Amino acid sequence: MDLVTGIGLRAPHLAEIARDRPATGFLEIHAENYLGASPARQMIERLRETNTFSIHAVGLSLGSAEGLDERHLDRVAALVKRLEPAYVSDHLSWSVHGGRYFNDLLPLPYTEEALDAVVRNVGRLQEALGRQVSIENPSCYLAFAHSTLTEPEFLAELARRSGCGLLLDLNNIVVTAHNLRLDPHDWLQALPDKAITEYHLAGHAVNDCDGEPLLIDDHGSRVGPEAWSLFDEIVRRYGARPTLIEWDTDIPALSVLLDEAAKADRAITMANPDAARAA
Amino acid sequence: MQLALPDLQAAFAAHVAGVDRPDLVAAVVGDTIPAEARLRVYRHHVSHSLSAALAATFPTVQALVGEAFFRGLAQGFVAEALPAQPVLTEYGAEFPAFVATHEPARALPYLADIASLDWALNVAFHSPEGRRVAAVDLAGIAAERLPSLSIVLPEGASLIRSLYPIDRIWKASQPGASADTVDLEAGRADLLVLRRADDAAFIVLDTGEAAFVAALVEGVSLESAAEGALSADPSFDLSAAFARLLTLEAFAALQQSWGG
Repeated sequence: MDLVTGIGLRAPHLAEIARDRPATGFLEIHAENYLGASPARQMIERLRETNTFSIHAVGLSLGSAEGLDERHLDRVAALVKRLEPAYVSDHLSWSVHGGRYFNDLLPLPYTEEALDAVVRNVGRLQEALGRQVSIENPSCYLAFAHSTLTEPEFLAELARRSGCGLLLDLNNIVVTAHNLRLDPHDWLQALPDKAITEYHLAGHAVNDCDGEPLLIDDHGSRVGPEAWSLFDEIVRRYGARPTLIEWDTDIPALSVLLDEAAKADRAITMANPDAARAA
Repeated sequence: MQLALPDLQAAFAAHVAGVDRPDLVAAVVGDTIPAEARLRVYRHHVSHSLSAALAATFPTVQALVGEAFFRGLAQGFVAEALPAQPVLTEYGAEFPAFVATHEPARALPYLADIASLDWALNVAFHSPEGRRVAAVDLAGIAAERLPSLSIVLPEGASLIRSLYPIDRIWKASQPGASADTVDLEAGRADLLVLRRADDAAFIVLDTGEAAFVAALVEGVSLESAAEGALSADPSFDLSAAFARLLTLEAFAALQQSWGG
């Protein structure tokens, strides 16, 4: 079987990956970590010759009512042009307002007004890159009372109007559903399957919030059982897609990430053998 | 009344920066976890994640003061100056100046200079390696032209001048360094910080070399830089200093000086 699951390439593993070139579906980098000219950037450029890359941006702030930061957009576009990644993505969230960057994926109200803003910004991004991008469902810790669409409805409409792909993060669905008292299985029901381009898997933490458990998307552990179960469900329903194991805090040995990726590949084969061959 | 998106984002931006906004609380669904508690998750994450980014950029400052003190220092800075853009390795240029004026850090008078050194190493690390002048490049230059040339330092290079022995303090603070004490009376340190092939590093300069490099940074000719160095240190030896810095690959280019 072809390996379809990739891993997040993080600084502590860079030298080992460059030396050993482990077999993996693809390598994902955060755009904002490679916009300078560091030795790490030079290593990525060399790895690019042998590996498929995914560029995952975290700071484009596609939900900003004020529009995109054109200077940052130019820098990301230059990186995409240089590395020619197979996949490019960012989140359904915002992180910039009034020239300040908050380094968080801040939540949007799911309204027609917000949809117009995100469609406009994703359109601008795709125009600047000259290609389709995928938009990821965020982890949410709150909902706005004036939202008129569900998150999957918002994403489906965004994909229809902008032509973007959808990156579905199973852990984020688990986190959001728990925190906002939603049913994660309902969340999966009515997605536009042709728009789905990628899956993400990661672990989360459980924090105490005024005596109640709140799930926090910290990418600091193995993928949890709920996310694996949803992953099975989504692959059965919509088929296999390029899948990523993400790990960003308390980063373990590289072998642990590769082990999780192999587990995802096995889950894809079990759930949908035909799709695994096609992916 | 519901908040329009620009107003909601302005209110949320104020909230994460520490300003309580009742209009924002009213817009958020609360249940057994109240709206205020849900909003606090974002406020804490912004402060915590940016403090962690500063810890990554200023590792020597954190090693010297400890994690808890550093967190206080970093959170104070974050509250004053959020990043202007999303590349976190470019966040913190004003942190050394903040450290210098931060009252609880006054007991460590060298701390701001260590922050400047951490920042200079970070800037050099994220700058292109570029090519460096080698001895062979000088072969084609007539000796009488040399004094009128100026030297271009590598991109991202900087000169850090401190009244304290920050090179020794820095070395003693590295992971795995032996716990030798550093004598603060050991005198000043002048460091030229540069990108190297796989990292960033500094060259320790003597008084004459420091004056020489400081003049080169200004773009003056070798002759003028040497005059400045001689007045700072009468024993300054231009050819020895030039040869040493050349060997250490500290020069990016030689060019005709149109200035002094």
